[in-house]
Amino acid sequence: MKSRAFATIEELRSQLKNKEITHADLIDYFITRFKAHDGQLGSALEVFDRESIEQTSETSGPLMGIPGLIKDNICMEGRVTACASKMLENFHSTFDATAIERLKKSGASLIGRANMDEFAMGSSTETSYFKKTANPWDMSRVPGGSSGGSAAAVAAGLVPWALGTDTGGSVRQPAAFCGIVGLKPTYGHVSRYGLVHYASSLDQVGIMTRSVWDNAFIFSMIAGNDPKDSSSLPVQPKDYTKNLDGTLPKGLKIGIIDNTLTAQGMEPEVRGAIEQAVKEFEKLGATIKHINLPSIEYAAAAYFILSRAEAASNLARFDGVRYGFRNKQASTIGPMYADTRHDGFGDEVKQRIFVGNYVLSSGHSGAFYENAKKVKRLIRSEFTNAFKDVDLLIMPTTPMPAFKIGAYDVDPLQMDLQDYFTCPMNLAGIPAMSIPCGFTKSKLPIGLQLIGPHCAEEQIFKAAHAYEKVTPWHTMHPEGFE
Amino acid sequence: MTKISREEVLRIAQMSAIAIKENEIEPLIDRLEKVLSYAERVTEVATNVEVPSNKNCDVFRQDVSVLQNPKPILAQAPERADNFFVVPMILDN
Repeated sequence: MKSRAFATIEELRSQLKNKEITHADLIDYFITRFKAHDGQLGSALEVFDRESIEQTSETSGPLMGIPGLIKDNICMEGRVTACASKMLENFHSTFDATAIERLKKSGASLIGRANMDEFAMGSSTETSYFKKTANPWDMSRVPGGSSGGSAAAVAAGLVPWALGTDTGGSVRQPAAFCGIVGLKPTYGHVSRYGLVHYASSLDQVGIMTRSVWDNAFIFSMIAGNDPKDSSSLPVQPKDYTKNLDGTLPKGLKIGIIDNTLTAQGMEPEVRGAIEQAVKEFEKLGATIKHINLPSIEYAAAAYFILSRAEAASNLARFDGVRYGFRNKQASTIGPMYADTRHDGFGDEVKQRIFVGNYVLSSGHSGAFYENAKKVKRLIRSEFTNAFKDVDLLIMPTTPMPAFKIGAYDVDPLQMDLQDYFTCPMNLAGIPAMSIPCGFTKSKLPIGLQLIGPHCAEEQIFKAAHAYEKVTPWHTMHPEGFE
Repeated sequence: MTKISREEVLRIAQMSAIAIKENEIEPLIDRLEKVLSYAERVTEVATNVEVPSNKNCDVFRQDVSVLQNPKPILAQAPERADNFFVVPMILDN
């Protein structure tokens, strides 16, 4: 029998239904797994006790008793929400994010807080103020980021699902590095209320699981309109698992973005895995088209500008007055702000604020900020045109598998460019999901992205589910976590 | 290639309300120049692209006041007195 550690939500629900295990036992089981394995892995910043977990959730619902880990930038009432930063080390949320409120109503057991890059700024979870997280497939490598704690915990079987957030790839890149399923929904499909802002026009709450069905199941719980988020779409919740029968959507046309396969730095093993996956989709009955989206080459540049500009504005609220860290040395308010922000933020966060204020400043905003907005528009129209010919698009999630911890310490621009393949979809506001599609010779996971037009999550789930049924990648688990 | 002067860094730090130490200036210039030089490429393709006004996208809601208990919020303050946040002096003596 398959180990309970790597059981899917679908399987755990059946075990609960058949009374093979109680809800309390299940929570205890996963808390014990964190105690046994997370000392080395470092995926969680905090694991709560069972009593307090049970107190915060409904005693019935479709997710009753199924534990999930929450990224440390999503507010849970009464819990610390630190964004892995010294600035918010002791900050306790006074309300639930809408996604959390909906999960609690579904009966979910929110088991702890996941490590992340500070304020979601990074691609390796190395910028966390508290600790680094390892990749369960190779402990000398990063799990990706910024939702690295969420990805590592799910991949290691410490928890069946986790929430992350994705501003430029922060759910999909770690999902690819850790060999799991990671969804960035359509912008506005999941409420951002209660998510600590990084770049508000790009941020989305995302879902990390070990199977496509599980991902669609959690999405069904949290998606849908929320009046508390002015960017929320007028979409009603529904059951996204209903049509997952292992077949592709009828007459599905998939476009392969050829210019991403020949991009600089693309490793042959990754390219090979993507090409093999395309053949599988073809065997399943999809019509394959080859297309080019030339403006993708400019997406990372536009993303750097827009995300840093919005971050500079959003992070202005951390001033040591109302909550969070304060440097108490200064005797007047101006130096108090400056010293608090100097000591409370890590280097990466400060650098992004500086870049943001530079590109917004008089004399530079025309060349940088205004042009970046135009490139964003260009990328959106290229995707819109592509979806006139095809239903879904495929491209790699990353050009290479997980890299070594510390690999980019001396060349941080290369770390920034981790967003190259993922940020175009944030700029376009469209949904994209990374699914496992193979392994390198050294047993590191490889991921591909399935991309759809606005609100095409249902089609993405259906196509990914059909692919998953005929491939073994999601059944493979890292050694040492049994 | 974007070049950034020492004065410019100090000005950005001031705008950002973030203190900067002498030994942090040079590494910061290096980092900013590299990111901005990469980002410059947006100018290559940003010609003849119309960006529609956002005026049609505003979302309105009723401006309804909601009574809130100030205690849990004030409990987060680094320094407080009664129902007030306490800050250092605005002007020096």
